[in-house]
Amino acid sequence: MAFSLTVNGNRHTVDVDSDTPLLWVIRDELGLKGTKFGCGAGLCGACTVHVNGQPARSCSTAIELVDGAEITTIEGLAEGGNLHPLQQAWISEGVPQCGYCQSGQIMTAAHLLANNPSPSRDDIVAAMTGNLCRCGTYTRIVAAVESVAGGVGHYQPGQEGA
Amino acid sequence: MTMNRRDFMKVSTGASGSLVLALSLPGCASVQTGFEPETGEWTPDVWLELNKQDEITFTLARVEMGQGTYTGLTTLIAEELDVDPARIQVKFAPVAPEYRNPFIGLQLTGGSTSVASSWQPLREAGASARLMLVMAAARVWGVDADNCRTDNGRVLHPNGVDSLRYGQLVELADKEVIRGDVPLKPRSEWKYIGKQAGKLDARAKATGTAVYGIDVELPGMVYAVMTRSPRYGGRAQSFNRDEILAMAGVQAAFITERGVAVVAGSYWKARKAQQAVRVEWDFSEALDTTVDEVFEGYRKAASEDPGEQERSEGDVDEAISKAGRVVEAEYEQPYLAHAPMEPMNATAWYHDSRMEIWAPTQAPDLGRIAACRNSDLSPDDVTVHTTFLGGGFGRRLTQDYIEEAAAVAYELKVPVKLIWSREEDMRHGFWRPAMLHRMTASLDGSDLTGWDHQIVGPQVLDWYVRNAAPAQYPWAPKFLYNTLGKVGLMVEGLATPKDVSAIEGSIGYPYQVPNVSVRHTHTDPGVPITWWRSVGYSHNGFAVETFMDELAHEAGQDPLEFRRKLLAKEPRHARVLERAADLAQWGTPLPEGRARGIALFQSFGTYVAQVVEAGIENGEIRVYKVTASVDCGQVVNPRIVEDQISGGILFGLTAALFGEITFNKGEVQQSNFHDYRLLQMHQVPEVVVDIVDSDEAPTGVGEPGVPPVIPALGNALFALTGKRQRRLPLTV
Repeated sequence: MAFSLTVNGNRHTVDVDSDTPLLWVIRDELGLKGTKFGCGAGLCGACTVHVNGQPARSCSTAIELVDGAEITTIEGLAEGGNLHPLQQAWISEGVPQCGYCQSGQIMTAAHLLANNPSPSRDDIVAAMTGNLCRCGTYTRIVAAVESVAGGVGHYQPGQEGA
Repeated sequence: MTMNRRDFMKVSTGASGSLVLALSLPGCASVQTGFEPETGEWTPDVWLELNKQDEITFTLARVEMGQGTYTGLTTLIAEELDVDPARIQVKFAPVAPEYRNPFIGLQLTGGSTSVASSWQPLREAGASARLMLVMAAARVWGVDADNCRTDNGRVLHPNGVDSLRYGQLVELADKEVIRGDVPLKPRSEWKYIGKQAGKLDARAKATGTAVYGIDVELPGMVYAVMTRSPRYGGRAQSFNRDEILAMAGVQAAFITERGVAVVAGSYWKARKAQQAVRVEWDFSEALDTTVDEVFEGYRKAASEDPGEQERSEGDVDEAISKAGRVVEAEYEQPYLAHAPMEPMNATAWYHDSRMEIWAPTQAPDLGRIAACRNSDLSPDDVTVHTTFLGGGFGRRLTQDYIEEAAAVAYELKVPVKLIWSREEDMRHGFWRPAMLHRMTASLDGSDLTGWDHQIVGPQVLDWYVRNAAPAQYPWAPKFLYNTLGKVGLMVEGLATPKDVSAIEGSIGYPYQVPNVSVRHTHTDPGVPITWWRSVGYSHNGFAVETFMDELAHEAGQDPLEFRRKLLAKEPRHARVLERAADLAQWGTPLPEGRARGIALFQSFGTYVAQVVEAGIENGEIRVYKVTASVDCGQVVNPRIVEDQISGGILFGLTAALFGEITFNKGEVQQSNFHDYRLLQMHQVPEVVVDIVDSDEAPTGVGEPGVPPVIPALGNALFALTGKRQRRLPLTV
């Protein structure tokens, strides 16, 4: 079946089974490999993307549920060649170890800051605790989010890749 | 320290500084060195390529799985080449003898050996290339090379004005011949070692552009999934092939050595078709174990077989028979999964009589063995392209996923990506072995006079040698592979050092006790096992340091004091213990409902002491703070050391609080992160990592953070509740 979606500002039509998870459409139909497969059950957050500005577990979101939606992936977070402040913070804090979960971590954090530019430590932990990291980078993630908290007020959900 | 199996075939690199250091290894014709006029590229050694455009490429032979080799090893060579590490492009090494891990004799990343084994050769390689560039510049200028300096990719003229870029010198440098030793920079002149705090791969990983195995894409690629026997060792006899082949999108379905492969044009179509696969399994040789039986078997073995004597000092039996008090304890530790975030996967393409593999693997040369196991190919017919690894923790030392992808690709002759689901990853792993420890000690007053430690369980190498032995002798004919594996086991301890995977950390018991006995009762229940972050140290650390805590309490002493007085001859142990205790304010009052526990454990050459502050909140164990003091010799990248120790602490806490793989009639009962839980952000304690300033040679940091935290937490809970837990995971 054909579905249309806008990913990072670009319109696409894909012909896939209606129950195909958004994750595999993004990765294998559109070739955007930054979004990762971790558990296939919405338990780890490695596949987190924004659907109409809301964070979603793309591994458990069937394509038929997001037909026509605006999707933002890690590749769409930078604006006009400038990295998102969180990506910059991830680099300067040296957050990643293996790095596999970090796209999902950054997408979750980006949504948090878009809605709450000055989150408390508790707000950050509450928003991020569903994203697993086997390497144990949690403390650096909190530090990176705190380092830009308050500084990304311009960031609007759903428009970041436009 | 007793030599680890993973240290075997260790070669002394010395301080020769010869430019051809890596080329002096046997059988090394695979990396061409020298200047290539057509490309303008100079390859001074197997590690570096410099070209006329000033591009510098470093070949990384220890894979990057989060532990920081990408940055750390690049920093080593950059320091002596005198170039900012950020200017260097990193590429992952192909399989070649030059790239074997000199501590292990295989091209393998593990055992926390990467920095320790690269420390000398990579600095020497960088220094040699730099010296040749300096000699070339000096010849151009007609000055003495000793008077030229370098700075970030340029050779500086003694006149303080002129300079030449490395790129301008590469062709001339190739003609220079180094006579004598190449000096290495003294520590005082380091620009990057010990100072470099950034991570060279952070940008790629923060932008989603780092390529992991699962991200590899080839033209015309198809997707495969594998239905494996629910019980290890079962074999597929038949399946509903016609029905599967009739399903939408299915391109192939067939039986392999590893199970039933289903191939489709997309991952989702393959995965959906797999749901309909019905297999007749031959379970005649399949695992039939239930986890309780494993421990029953261990107890029976422990009672019937005193085990091989691994360490013996004084007379423990006499000390125990004459002791004022005898203390006994038995510790049980479960099977554990690695659960790296990137599930197992590999991409394979059989074309032109060659097999190409793209995979996140910790041991690409073992991957070659696995890739040719089910075909008429030989290892030389296999090329392995290593990618970034989404975690490894030892799981990717075992190459079953490469074997599967290669078997499917060999049949289909088109590029095939084979991806495991998380459930498959959780159920078809090779585990950290379950182990049983029986401890007996004698106390005279408050003095520990005897220590008897019986370790009961399997050895990892028994399982690993199947691919490791052929990988060491890749020229051996394939019909000898099984024999090589068997011979590898037979000559263990004779032609090769002993497998200490079960006993490491126990034979190195550091406390000064007059009568010490460490025994290993070798028994293998047939459950597949492999290396797991910190391996034997992970379970020995819990047994040894929990029992030390028990003995301290039995002796009526403070656990810190009790340890300290037994470490008079172990200054590095004693120092980290003191520092961790001081930093954690050991002995000072805590808020109601909290307690501290302490543990000290050396592993992979690194000394780590930890103090855990814990309590119980809402019926759950809560860890508030972990303070670690670490002596790992000289530090290449302080941030990575801190991250590896704190990451190891969280890995250990995950095991202590949640980790348990169980079997029922041979079937694994866990399936995903809901029933094999990982520590989450809201459960993370404050972690303080103190690194001892040292001039000693660097030792490992990837694993040593793990072992002490498990007993330190258990000891804190005992201090809190008075109830001793001798089985993991810990409970309330």
